[in-house]
Amino acid sequence: MVSLLLLPKTPNPLSSIYTPNPFKSLNPKTLKPSKPNFKPKPHNPTTIRSVLQWNRKPQLAGDTPRVVVITSGKGGVGKTTTTANVGLSLARLGFSVVAIDADVGLRNLDLLLGLENRVNYTVVEVLNGDCRLDQALVRDKRWSNFELLCISKPRSKLPIGFGGKALIWLVDALKAREEGSPDFILIDCPAGIDAGFITAITPANEAVLVTTPDITSLRDADRVTGLLECDGIKDIKMIVNRVRTDMIKGEDMMSVLDIQEMLGLALLGVIPEDSEVIRSTNRGYPLVLNKPPTLAGLAFEQAAWRLVEQDSMQAVVVEEEPKKRGFFSFFGG
Amino acid sequence: MASVWNPQFHSISSQPSICGWKHGISSNILELRRELGLSYSRYNWVQQRTARSFLFRALSKSANSDEDKVVKTETEINGWKTSIGKLQETIKSLPPVVFVMKKDVGINFAIGLCVATTILVVAVRVYVARKVSNSRPGSVADLVRRGQLRSDRRGISRPLKYEDPFNNPLVKVGKSNSTVEMCGKVYRLAPVTLTKEQQAIHQKRRSRAYQWKRPTMFLKEGDSIPSDVDPDTVRWIPANHPFATTASEIDEGLAQNNVYQKHGVPFRIQAEHEALQRKLEALQSEQKLNKLVIDPTNAKDFERPFKHLKSHEQAGQGPSNHIGSDSSPEEMQKP
Repeated sequence: MVSLLLLPKTPNPLSSIYTPNPFKSLNPKTLKPSKPNFKPKPHNPTTIRSVLQWNRKPQLAGDTPRVVVITSGKGGVGKTTTTANVGLSLARLGFSVVAIDADVGLRNLDLLLGLENRVNYTVVEVLNGDCRLDQALVRDKRWSNFELLCISKPRSKLPIGFGGKALIWLVDALKAREEGSPDFILIDCPAGIDAGFITAITPANEAVLVTTPDITSLRDADRVTGLLECDGIKDIKMIVNRVRTDMIKGEDMMSVLDIQEMLGLALLGVIPEDSEVIRSTNRGYPLVLNKPPTLAGLAFEQAAWRLVEQDSMQAVVVEEEPKKRGFFSFFGG
Repeated sequence: MASVWNPQFHSISSQPSICGWKHGISSNILELRRELGLSYSRYNWVQQRTARSFLFRALSKSANSDEDKVVKTETEINGWKTSIGKLQETIKSLPPVVFVMKKDVGINFAIGLCVATTILVVAVRVYVARKVSNSRPGSVADLVRRGQLRSDRRGISRPLKYEDPFNNPLVKVGKSNSTVEMCGKVYRLAPVTLTKEQQAIHQKRRSRAYQWKRPTMFLKEGDSIPSDVDPDTVRWIPANHPFATTASEIDEGLAQNNVYQKHGVPFRIQAEHEALQRKLEALQSEQKLNKLVIDPTNAKDFERPFKHLKSHEQAGQGPSNHIGSDSSPEEMQKP
């Protein structure tokens, strides 16, 4: 398959996916796209980047562990789904991931991952001394480098003001554990801007803001972005979830570029609306693991890739009129 | 051509070679049978040849005299009628499927060959696609297929070997104008227009709009704010908050140690275990006291004297018997 290439003229040609002639730089001998030369990154002058990367592992940027909080403000926009799918995509790419469900009282991440029957201990038990931290970590049997940690079981209490410190201790303890520090610590933030939100963002260095293309979600997202910036988190990227390209084409839904214009945040990913999300929740099997992958699964993988390399989208897809299929198109043309 | 001579030929066939010919209808049919198996072109040539000769002879005969014409036409008509009758019988005896094409046989064969090739190609593609989609034999997927393992929790997917994660055959890149075809829809790529300056403008707007400080002190309603604390960092907790508690139920230092513990038994489990141990030891020590045995040589010291016999002796013996009398009831009460 031929993938799109980068434009050489962009100053930071990390992830542009727009090119006027994708076949221009095909190697005539192998018919594979030849990698163009771009301005190298400071830490690795020979790095060649392209959008739809092939045949290489993404290069981890930044200091490990990368503590990322996934938040939104508004509930139901897809934070937990994003955490589960991006986390498993990172694990598939070979990185060690610890996902923390920081919702005190309303725990859902274990359900999405299909691990609800294996959560015996939570952070509250660790704090009380009923178990050690390694006993509270639930290792996924599908990908052994992915672990889940829940803050608390339902109907249990955690003192307000205490959770933030607890998370900081947790992150320090994970850094210092014997099997090595994880590459990524993803924190699934609860909805709202209450104590749970404050707890979840305490140890984070960067944030992923999940929003949907509706005005209510955007207003909350803007507020949350302001709070994150006040708390010192400057690296904030956006994932626009539940995008309907057909409604955008019919101008019934805001386009991704409109959203970016309103919020002023770099784009980490655009996830199309997909009914497979519901089915994957029912199965406890995140949709990035589906074979063949769905569009939403592909989009989550791309977002995970960009997260690893601290990259952002430089172009978005806009639906157009389908081309007219010829008589022989069913032959596979 | 047959319709010129006899309208009956319309219902039979349009092929003039099956026309009645008084000399050799049977030979024509034999020829037809042979050539159907060989080539349609040759058959058509024969057909045209017989038709042309038939017409020629018919035209030549019409040039004779009228008398001869009348006699000859009558005999000819009779002959034709018999030949037509024979022809009809012959046609009825032929097998029902006698497909004779109008056009050239070579083109029809080529078209049939193309159709057959197409069907074969499509079948091979379907077969190959099915084969590729099935996992390799002898893998865990076979166990799942057989129902030995649960498929919903079993990861069939193989780890990525740093291949293109977007190597999806459903995604086809267009040759012009940067279009991408995915899942039956066509998409165009639109570049992102956000610049660094615009991002900075948004950050400034938010810093003006949202002033927030992280709360460091949590107070209940009615508590006073300490003098050295910034009021912006105080968080007021409503009394009816379901998960609120300001009372420190967990010692922070202890909690921190619990989080950092890497080996050994967790603190509370250890504490409970030790408490249980102590309780067990206490119980055991109490039972030891209960199981003490009485020395028969000292039993007299514990005997209770009879009142009516020894009351005077007790008065004479004094305090030594007093101790014995006090202890004897207890000895009597013990099992």
